[in-house]
Amino acid sequence: MKNPEKVDVVIVGSGAAGSVYAAVFAEAGKSVLVLEKGTDRKLTDLYSSQIWARRLKWGAPHVFEAGKDSIWYNFNAGNGYGGAAMHHYGVWPRYHPEDLQEYSRFGKGLDWPLEYDQLRPWYDQVQADVGMSGDAEKEIWRPPGAPYPLPPLPVFVHGEVLARGFEALDLRTSPIPVAILSQDYKGRPACIYDSWCDAGCPTGALANPLVEYLPRATAAGAVLQPDSYVTRVLTDRNGNKATGVEYYDKTGERHEQLADAVVVAAFTVENCRILLNSATGNHPGGLGNSSDTLGRYLMSHPAVNIFGMFREETHCYQGVSGGQLFSQDGFDKDKGKEIFGSRQWEIGLGTKPNDLLGIAMSRAELFGNDLHDFVKRGSRHFGAMVGVCECLPHGDNRIELTDSKDRFGMRLARSTFNLDDYARNLWRETADLGVEIFKAAGAIEAWHSPPGGQHIMGGTIMGRDRNTSVTNEYAQLHDVPNVIIGGPSVFPTSSSVNSTFTAHAVALRSARHVADHWGGLLA
Amino acid sequence: MSLSRRNFIRQSGLAVTFTVAGRTLLLTPREAYAREMPFSVLDRAEVETLEAICDHLLPGAGENGVAHFVDHQLPLDPDDSLLFIKWFNVQPPYVDFYRPALAEISRACETVYGKSITDLDPSGAAALIESLRDGNVPGWNGPPPPLVYHALRNDAVDVVYGTMEGFADLGIPYLAHIEPPRAW
Repeated sequence: MKNPEKVDVVIVGSGAAGSVYAAVFAEAGKSVLVLEKGTDRKLTDLYSSQIWARRLKWGAPHVFEAGKDSIWYNFNAGNGYGGAAMHHYGVWPRYHPEDLQEYSRFGKGLDWPLEYDQLRPWYDQVQADVGMSGDAEKEIWRPPGAPYPLPPLPVFVHGEVLARGFEALDLRTSPIPVAILSQDYKGRPACIYDSWCDAGCPTGALANPLVEYLPRATAAGAVLQPDSYVTRVLTDRNGNKATGVEYYDKTGERHEQLADAVVVAAFTVENCRILLNSATGNHPGGLGNSSDTLGRYLMSHPAVNIFGMFREETHCYQGVSGGQLFSQDGFDKDKGKEIFGSRQWEIGLGTKPNDLLGIAMSRAELFGNDLHDFVKRGSRHFGAMVGVCECLPHGDNRIELTDSKDRFGMRLARSTFNLDDYARNLWRETADLGVEIFKAAGAIEAWHSPPGGQHIMGGTIMGRDRNTSVTNEYAQLHDVPNVIIGGPSVFPTSSSVNSTFTAHAVALRSARHVADHWGGLLA
Repeated sequence: MSLSRRNFIRQSGLAVTFTVAGRTLLLTPREAYAREMPFSVLDRAEVETLEAICDHLLPGAGENGVAHFVDHQLPLDPDDSLLFIKWFNVQPPYVDFYRPALAEISRACETVYGKSITDLDPSGAAALIESLRDGNVPGWNGPPPPLVYHALRNDAVDVVYGTMEGFADLGIPYLAHIEPPRAW
């Protein structure tokens, strides 16, 4: 059925990017409807439990996987208001200038259609909006930008123990840059360091969409609508303009929501799936796919967790999930010996006994009483950090549609992802170095995880050339400019830094541009 | 920080809903196990296999109600599921993973060891688990054995150590912002 009221903007997804678009457009006086596939989650629903935390993650529709490497979609994606940003750890470094000009500088990867200086003011604005803690001077690798609005988080025993290893190897550390409050900020309380970030932060100390941009959006009149499963972007007869979206409500009833502009911010895989499923006679390969680039250049950060046991008690259950200290020593990309890509360390991860990143899973081969003994020892003496590596964009790494369909008859997605030798070599070097750092810190035992995948990027990459990219620098589809894409799917390169801060900054820049040029959008 | 095991147990809430003679009962998985409450999805043989293998994977998982926990989760929408298997990109519904996995474990015990899993001695159980973990169970015709190993092992870890009671047993503070409304 056709909804009676056309809106100025319909936004698909209420996560990091969708919430920013909603706030900016609503505050610009536009009528905004946000359609969220999942539930209308509130801060009071965020129970401190690694088991209950799984409700915040993706469950369906299923994403098939091909290739040698997993993108860990269910773990990385979100479900319900706030999307993946409800369970993200709030580690917010900035992309470096060379990340945005990678092809020009190194002859590898791709270039973004904008340079760091064009993104910098939006990083500054976002960090002022949400409140970030860190020490810009001690974070010596940090690109230029405004100082953090708040002092850094405290460092507890876990961080102090691991810092010894970096010092012993002449590697530098700094306070970790986080979107977590070290002091009260704009009526939100400071963090209490209980390390349940993965389960969602109900106090509002960690900047998830429910504490800043979604409240601003609704205060300005935006409407959030849960349980609304968007299947397609609708276009006019000529295919030149989007007219709205098709979605299904909780009862399975079909709706058409008309709008002057459509923002697709449903995270990387769903962004591609919705656009591919929006194929028409005018757009036979999917909406925005005249370049055959839609779905391509899928990226994920190859990550290695470093684990160890220490003589002293580490209190690893304390702090924040994303770490207490940070290092980008080793961020330089061209490392020679067939190794290419940046790397960073997040040091002193808050760790609980169970779940994918928990103590028990760090020695997945143990069972029986050996597992009991290990968890009991680890709950007091465990140490953990993660090395996050870059992967280069490749067109063969991609999201495609399968012949399997969801309950509404829309085709499901498949990821094909293979790390190249540069990334595999970088990951191996990082794993070896991490174990060496732990041993230098005094670990009795030190080991590392198998490769994991953090963050998911690409698929609707931005670029200057409409023949080799999906969107322009403002994340508008080249083919249909009143469709705007939100989230890390527009990133042409991955860097090794966590993607959420940049997803916010890019969305804020794009939203302001579109709002300021609204007449041109509708022309 | 002082911990009170009694408080943890009292506050850990209730887990699984049962209707008995017109009354609604809310029980933790451990209580449901102790009271032999009925199952909604798994049959008796599947329950016995699940409890037995999980007890070998992490002793105590059975009495901590691992079978009731899994049984309670299986009918849920995958978005709402609290099962660890969610991480492994297994296509829902998850009962289509558990059911053949449990059947194959049971069959492997009978064919390789000539015993049911409930009668398997510790060394036989350890050999079976190692073959699951390493992916070399003879004649296996179910979900990938290592995936089964990880899923069931972590179900066991969840009910033993992922709860407020589990933290108390480890002697570490739970530090809840908001306590989970049920035992997990």
